[in-house]
Amino acid sequence: MKLLEVTQLTKTFGGVHAVSDVSFSVSKGEIVAVIGPNGAGKTTLFNLMTGVYPPTQGNIYFNDTDITCLPTHKVASLGIARTFQNLQVFNNMTVLENVMVGRHIRSRTGLLGAVFPLWPVQVEESKIVESSLEKLALTGLADKAMEQANSLPYGQQKMLEIARAIALEPELLLLDEPAAGLNSSETRDLVDIIYTLRDQGITIILVEHDMETVMEITDRLVVLNFGNKLAEGTPYEIQNNQEVITAYLGEEGL
Amino acid sequence: MKDLLKQKRLRHALILLFTLIIFTLPFLITNNYYLSVLVIIGIHTIVVVGLCLLMGYAGQISLGHAAFYGLGAYTSGILTSTYNVSPWLALLAGAVGTGIIAYLIGIPIFRLKEHYLALATLGFGLIIHVILMEEVELTGGPSGLSKGIPYLSIGSLVLNNDFKFYFLVWILALLALILANNVVHSRIGRALRSIHGSEFAAQSLGVDTGRHKLQVFALSAVYASVAGSLYAHYITFISPSPFGLMTSIQFVVMAVVGGLASIWGPIFGVSVITIMAESLKEFMPLLIPQAGGEYEIVVYGIILVVIMIFMPDGLTATLVKAYEGWRYRKERANETP
Repeated sequence: MKLLEVTQLTKTFGGVHAVSDVSFSVSKGEIVAVIGPNGAGKTTLFNLMTGVYPPTQGNIYFNDTDITCLPTHKVASLGIARTFQNLQVFNNMTVLENVMVGRHIRSRTGLLGAVFPLWPVQVEESKIVESSLEKLALTGLADKAMEQANSLPYGQQKMLEIARAIALEPELLLLDEPAAGLNSSETRDLVDIIYTLRDQGITIILVEHDMETVMEITDRLVVLNFGNKLAEGTPYEIQNNQEVITAYLGEEGL
Repeated sequence: MKDLLKQKRLRHALILLFTLIIFTLPFLITNNYYLSVLVIIGIHTIVVVGLCLLMGYAGQISLGHAAFYGLGAYTSGILTSTYNVSPWLALLAGAVGTGIIAYLIGIPIFRLKEHYLALATLGFGLIIHVILMEEVELTGGPSGLSKGIPYLSIGSLVLNNDFKFYFLVWILALLALILANNVVHSRIGRALRSIHGSEFAAQSLGVDTGRHKLQVFALSAVYASVAGSLYAHYITFISPSPFGLMTSIQFVVMAVVGGLASIWGPIFGVSVITIMAESLKEFMPLLIPQAGGEYEIVVYGIILVVIMIFMPDGLTATLVKAYEGWRYRKERANETP
């Protein structure tokens, strides 16, 4: 069953085709990687899928709903969560509070409830804390809960972004270069976490440069080059695809 | 979980201690002038608590809050003096009306960000000020409304002097503080702070940033309006001059001096600036004989710049940090005799 379908997606900035005529689909439960050289349009593709800006052409369907021109927060509330290539941790909050923001769409307290926190509001609040601590435990940050988010080392801030994103209980999780800047043991932990999430039924699309990790964990890859889709297939197919090898290594590399 | 509870208890203990101090003060101060300064500090605190929610937590600026303060004051003034409405009902009407106005004008202006938003709110403030000046039949124009604004009363107790009014104002100011504190530590408060931290990430987590900005803008306008109503019934005379641009700037300076993202900041900032403004009134003419009110704004400007450069987190945060540093050094000194 198709969870996400992207059809003929094009995005131009001025005269530059950042993404051009890209189509692919992702089924429930898959782990799919989008790879390509720098500037291939991977992050632009993520931004289009999460409604950061509307595409110039093409459509995006999520669970058969057209989400092409929805604003970011609506896309999120349908069940698509993401992390960022450049960390977007809330520096002004604690680690726990960061994850608690992830529970936003799964809780209801409005402004009136916030001003006058009666019993039901307090019950909801403690549920938010409880499930947020669960997500922190999953990403190995349980003992950092009360620390200021920006006091964490880089690798843990990346984990925090994942914890925050999965607090939303997404159906689809987009990870933008999750392994970048991680050491080898942190990368191991990341792989374990990704498997755990997949086992929980979360479909994952990731952008990643660490080829070893990508080839190990993904079911399928989509290769972009200069905004175009160059190839699509299993890790084995991609590793043996002549065009992909040329794009990465150049003609002389062969 | 334990740390969370500990933090909460400490917060409550601090609020309790502060409440005790506030309500013993009027028995110690017998000078009416000082008491009236404290009443004004209380009224301004209500405005600035709301402004801090907007500026410190949601990270949005308003240079037009004196307009909401004025809307509250004039709604109360006009309804009670011209239409004989009960003061409490007028206060409520002012709060609701101002909240709705803020929400409606917020819809277009919150499409703007930063400097542009600041200018839009400033423009709104100027418009309201002009209306207060020019709608002579309704507002009394530049000379204001001087007849028939009653004192507030609770049952048969008429709050007709500084001593009695002091208690009402500070009960409401503390209530304002506690309610704002509730907001900060709620789902909405976290959403607001997340907007400040990274609007991009907040949206990606499903936070409707536009809607939350509007809500907190309206809430802060309600705060200002209630304070305005209190002001009207305290002075029992209102004219447009206290609700102009100068006052809006003063509120922003108070918020920044106190520190934006702290619930104690407002009280501190308001006290420092109000006491300073009162002293300036006394000392300025001694220094420069021809000096008038316009010299105050020069001083505000200087303070704002100095605070922004040397204590960007505000006085409260700087003092807390200094205290923690002192305690740390003291502990270190004890360890190595």
